[in-house]
Amino acid sequence: MKIVRFGDSALLVNFEQKINKAINNQVLLLYKQLQKVKEVTFLIPAYCSLTVGFSENTSFKTLSKQIEELNSKIQSKDLELNSKIIEIPVCYETPYALDMGEVKEKTGLNAQEIIKIHSQENYKVYMLGFVAGFAYLGSLPKQLFCPRKTEPRKEVLAGSVGLAGLQTGIYPANAPGGWQIIGRTPIPTFNPKADNPTLFKAGDAVKFKSISSSEFEEIETQVFSGKFNLEEYYG
Amino acid sequence: MARLHFLKSGLQTTIQDLGRQGVQDLGIPINGAMDKASAKLANQLVGNDANSPVLEITLLGPKIQFEGPCQIAITGANLSVEINGNTIPLFITINIDHGDVLSFGKPVTDCRAYLAINGKWDVQSWLGSCSASATNTAQTTPDSIIVKDQILEIIRGKEQPIIAISESERPSISIEAPIKVYPGPEFEAFSAVEKQCFFGDRFTIGQDSNRMGYRLKEALKGYSKKEEVISSGVIPGTVQITNSGQPIVLMADAQTTGGYPRIANVSSTDLDRLAQFKPGDIVRFELIGFK
Repeated sequence: MKIVRFGDSALLVNFEQKINKAINNQVLLLYKQLQKVKEVTFLIPAYCSLTVGFSENTSFKTLSKQIEELNSKIQSKDLELNSKIIEIPVCYETPYALDMGEVKEKTGLNAQEIIKIHSQENYKVYMLGFVAGFAYLGSLPKQLFCPRKTEPRKEVLAGSVGLAGLQTGIYPANAPGGWQIIGRTPIPTFNPKADNPTLFKAGDAVKFKSISSSEFEEIETQVFSGKFNLEEYYG
Repeated sequence: MARLHFLKSGLQTTIQDLGRQGVQDLGIPINGAMDKASAKLANQLVGNDANSPVLEITLLGPKIQFEGPCQIAITGANLSVEINGNTIPLFITINIDHGDVLSFGKPVTDCRAYLAINGKWDVQSWLGSCSASATNTAQTTPDSIIVKDQILEIIRGKEQPIIAISESERPSISIEAPIKVYPGPEFEAFSAVEKQCFFGDRFTIGQDSNRMGYRLKEALKGYSKKEEVISSGVIPGTVQITNSGQPIVLMADAQTTGGYPRIANVSSTDLDRLAQFKPGDIVRFELIGFK
């Protein structure tokens, strides 16, 4: 772990610069510890780094020392984060699977194989970023490795499920983006009115479930009419 | 109760406070006034808390008719402010009478003016801030982007004595002096020549600059693309270098993570000053060390 300065009111904690679960767990455990420190103004946990904003009531030196101490107390046995698996229904059919053709070409797999591989894995939410509520999920099984689109789309619709390298993710709102879109979920993953506006938090586990277009439409109708209840859906 | 009736919205008039810090772990930008020093001063002049909402007025200001008396103050850029056709001074508490019309004319200096009004603003707050949010604006902060004919209501506060801030006490909003930056997390990934370019050259603020970021037109000469950084946090003031060598200075509405190398971070004081630069202005950077 290395702590570096990041402007005059933030610092950056860098762990080994690799994308893997154990390193990300260290980030998230430190992130949880720092949420209790009152001089901390904001936190940005990422794959293998943690950005820490701080107020004028502390200094880089004081806070760094505090972070070193907190981090040394984190036991390796704590590194298994408890998290329930959030199941996300995805329709992998047209008109939602915009880039299935390109993904088939790039991976050499057929659509059934792509859907099977994508939906059998438990993914970890490594971090949120890019736009409000966008969860970076990983890692994809290597067979699904697929580079981003050469020309990003000006607008990808909310709910779109995409691939980029060994990452997968869900667009929480309409946004520009270059991920390869292989399906869409009717479930809203960002709800600004809720106390917890994002469905996912860093550290959560996510699994995709393949649904038909009629199931998609059924849930979508419930969402539009305001009848869809997330808590009920997840029991 | 005082009511503001917007006869004209202006180019980009938004409600801002000091931002929504503490939700960046959800990917939500900080937002808030671009020039926080000027926003705080405006609130101070009308007796409001520093984090009270203000109107951030960009280059071409709105035209506002007041219904009911109130006290206001305007700080930041000089955008030729008039009340009922008469020029009024900046950086001073001003008493407004029922029916007064506040208008803005030609931008004289700088880019953003801040209008504070004494009292409690009847505006929607989201995640602890009234600042305009680009995230689902209609649901989160529906009144925050001013449109023509909008009405803004203020529950008047206790009347304040008139206060003025002399020129020597005002924050420097000179666009001549170089912008002070600290070395960023990937500073050492840049070659000596690239650093020399970054600190020696002059950069033009691009036309596609906005509250998310200032894109600078000129690329670092002979820039060689760096290894991509694994997505990591970025904050207002972070200077990223894109693959083509062009610097982007992230501003108040910046996203929370990015993958470009971070060469520098603008000092908080100079980030307020940089917010007063407009497209076409020239910026230079000066490296400062940490205290």
